[in-house]
Amino acid sequence: MKIGKLALAAGLLAYIGVPLLLGGNNYVMSLIIAALVIGGIALAWALLGNLGGMVSFGHSAFFGVGAYVSAILTMEAGVPVMAGLLLGGLGAVLASVVMLPVLRLRGPYFALAILAYAHIFKIVATEWSSVTGGSGGLSSIPRLPELFGVDLAGKVGSYLIILTILVVFVLCYRAIRASHYGLALRAMHDSEDATRVIGVNSTLLKAMMLFVSAFMTGVVGAFNVHYISFLEPDYAFNGIWVTLPIIAAIFGGYRTLWGPVAGALTVYLVDQLVFKNLIPSGHQLILGGLLVAMIIFSPRGLLPLLRRPSRRKHAAA
Amino acid sequence: MTELILQALYSGVLQGGSYALIALGLALVFGTMKVINLAHGELVLLAAYIAYSVESSLGLNPVFAIPVALVIVCLSALIMYFLVDLIKTDRELNSLILTYGIGVILTNGILLIWSADIKSTSSAWLQEAIVVGPLYSMRSEPVFFLVSVLLMGVLWWWLSRSWYGRAVRAVAGNRDAARLMGINPRRTELVSFLIAGILASFAGVAIFSYGVIQPSLGHVLTIKAFIITVLAGIGSIPGVLVGALLLGVAEALTITLASSALQELVGMLLFLLVLFVLPNGLFGAAGRRG
Amino acid sequence: MLQLDALTVRFGGLTAVDAVTLSAGRDEVLGLVGPNGAGKTTLFNAVSGLVRPSAGRIAFDSADLASMPLHRRARMGIGRTFQIPQPLHELTVRENLVVAQRFATGRVDDERIEQVLDFTRLGDRGGRNAATELALTELKALEIAKALCTNPKLLLLDEVLAGLETSGKRRFMKMLQELHKQFDVGILIIEHDIETISQLCDRVAALDFGRLIALGTPDEVFSDPDVVRSYTGGQA
Repeated sequence: MKIGKLALAAGLLAYIGVPLLLGGNNYVMSLIIAALVIGGIALAWALLGNLGGMVSFGHSAFFGVGAYVSAILTMEAGVPVMAGLLLGGLGAVLASVVMLPVLRLRGPYFALAILAYAHIFKIVATEWSSVTGGSGGLSSIPRLPELFGVDLAGKVGSYLIILTILVVFVLCYRAIRASHYGLALRAMHDSEDATRVIGVNSTLLKAMMLFVSAFMTGVVGAFNVHYISFLEPDYAFNGIWVTLPIIAAIFGGYRTLWGPVAGALTVYLVDQLVFKNLIPSGHQLILGGLLVAMIIFSPRGLLPLLRRPSRRKHAAA
Repeated sequence: MTELILQALYSGVLQGGSYALIALGLALVFGTMKVINLAHGELVLLAAYIAYSVESSLGLNPVFAIPVALVIVCLSALIMYFLVDLIKTDRELNSLILTYGIGVILTNGILLIWSADIKSTSSAWLQEAIVVGPLYSMRSEPVFFLVSVLLMGVLWWWLSRSWYGRAVRAVAGNRDAARLMGINPRRTELVSFLIAGILASFAGVAIFSYGVIQPSLGHVLTIKAFIITVLAGIGSIPGVLVGALLLGVAEALTITLASSALQELVGMLLFLLVLFVLPNGLFGAAGRRG
Repeated sequence: MLQLDALTVRFGGLTAVDAVTLSAGRDEVLGLVGPNGAGKTTLFNAVSGLVRPSAGRIAFDSADLASMPLHRRARMGIGRTFQIPQPLHELTVRENLVVAQRFATGRVDDERIEQVLDFTRLGDRGGRNAATELALTELKALEIAKALCTNPKLLLLDEVLAGLETSGKRRFMKMLQELHKQFDVGILIIEHDIETISQLCDRVAALDFGRLIALGTPDEVFSDPDVVRSYTGGQA
């Protein structure tokens, strides 16, 4: 596993520098943690788009399902919180199984179908009140535990957890992309039939990417629910979990590994610190405008533009 | 019991008329541009809120809002068309994200201008009960149903008789062949967006007249329109009408027999059913498979 | 090895392949001829799995292919080239072959890949982007190379020579002649050039409007009046 010097420096900064320098500032840490949550979804979204070739407008479904599964299991079945994170991810995978028939639809139909699914899950969460607490939601959800003397429920602890989750995800993404499966997946975008006649089970590969993306988003949703200790359908399945990650991923360069996370940090912080002050209750409007502008002027993202000279050498995928 | 069901069927059919208008607009744009306008529902909602404003600030019957809605919504549709037209690469994909972003702008714009409170018409004329045998409805429902049927008739006539209408069908069928015959695809795309805007305007005013509106409705309407086009199958206008009526009836039955909260769910379930069982829709021809 | 029994493919009102009964063995090169629209490519599509038969049976190695998915057919040993080359986009030439081999046979054998690259004269193009940096001859060679890397028992070649100029054609002819022997693979080949078919094929099947109208040696088939009429439109 090659780890360049830049990566090492970034790792040190992230794991040691940030806690040391910013750990005392609760507000900033909250912002960073929330941005990383968005980053996680953005990463999963980009993975599904790049490797799976599917644009999804329904990742809020995986986020919400992951949150509810983990919350309910930890509250009702006494499952430890860390295990809950994994189970939340698995719950999201199960949710995506229901979406499998949609895979054979072409681009726009897939996107809309996923949108409809997200809506279904929201309605189910609201109506199935015996299990999910209905529209009132759940509260006092178990928080992250203490591990190795570090209180993971605190700002620094939570930050380290979500950071590690993201690092693991990025490494997985990288591994898939570099493998033979990655090759086949890339080829499938424009030449799916050509891959099938040489033995690639393209449907299975696409399904696997859907599962991976769902799992990642579910884990992030589960993390989030234990971090804020509160959950209700409108929050869990909110459109913001769709809009922000998409903007973050495109802004940061959705074809790169770390672009989505970098984009999330930038966009989310700007949204919270600037946009929200301009238009408190409709700040999403500016986000929408940003998305429109980006798609028209720079579909590959804005951050990649800044690094253009060196970008030419690297083949992004 | 039968009375309840009959009533549900009646209400469902009446409401299906507006659904059909919304779905047709979506289908028309998709047919000519191969672009799904994720902000289509928001166009309809815009018309609905314009009707509200006309009623609340001018004290007029929402029906008079139609001209105003037509102007504003068609203008918005034009702007959408030009924005989509700006996309050069990967149009199918990028237009999805673009229209999604436009939808977010519209929904939040509506939220800002009109706030999140639920609104509905206070016009006595529209709300007055009309009784046909054992069947009851608000006056707005059959009125707008007739309007919908009329509009669809005009649209059908226009698509089959007028030059532009046939151009739209040609471009939807085979873009290159159409171009070779001297049809300018871009102009027909523009026309289809305008028509979608017109249909949306009427549908929006209708929805305000017999229902309640809130900012989040735009999103829901787009999904329902999509579900109807899936039910109908590609390239089938009569199919869209049947699909819309089916959805309307299914929702009405759910409200009557189950609960109103499950009303939205039934549409989604119909959609899933069709995906699994009848992937080409009820009337569809060519497949939607890749 | 390949057995077609009254294979019929219909698209709406059009019958593209009409009750064709044909067999092809691993030890032969079988030509498939006929005017444009006769159903040759559709037949290939049915065998490789891109199109569903409306009636009849396709058996390969005694297994009924009925609803077998495309990728399984490739793994069973049916290889196919496309008339308009379809290289795997975004991948290099070598990566194209790696994917073909890895997914059809389960392993990657670098020696075999080199052998195929050599055979198809793509040895020095291995690192090129398959979709954007190859000339037409090379794209067509890549089609064959991809199919070869799947370790096929039967190779369906769809108008490999179309669009090539004379010297390219000659080189390909040599390659095709070696193909059958060197790789121990049965070949089913669609070509329009009578000269080519006569030189390469042991047997020829002629289609017209989806029906099999002649089957025999190249000489027999090309002197068959029905076949001549199908090409010249009635002016035998």
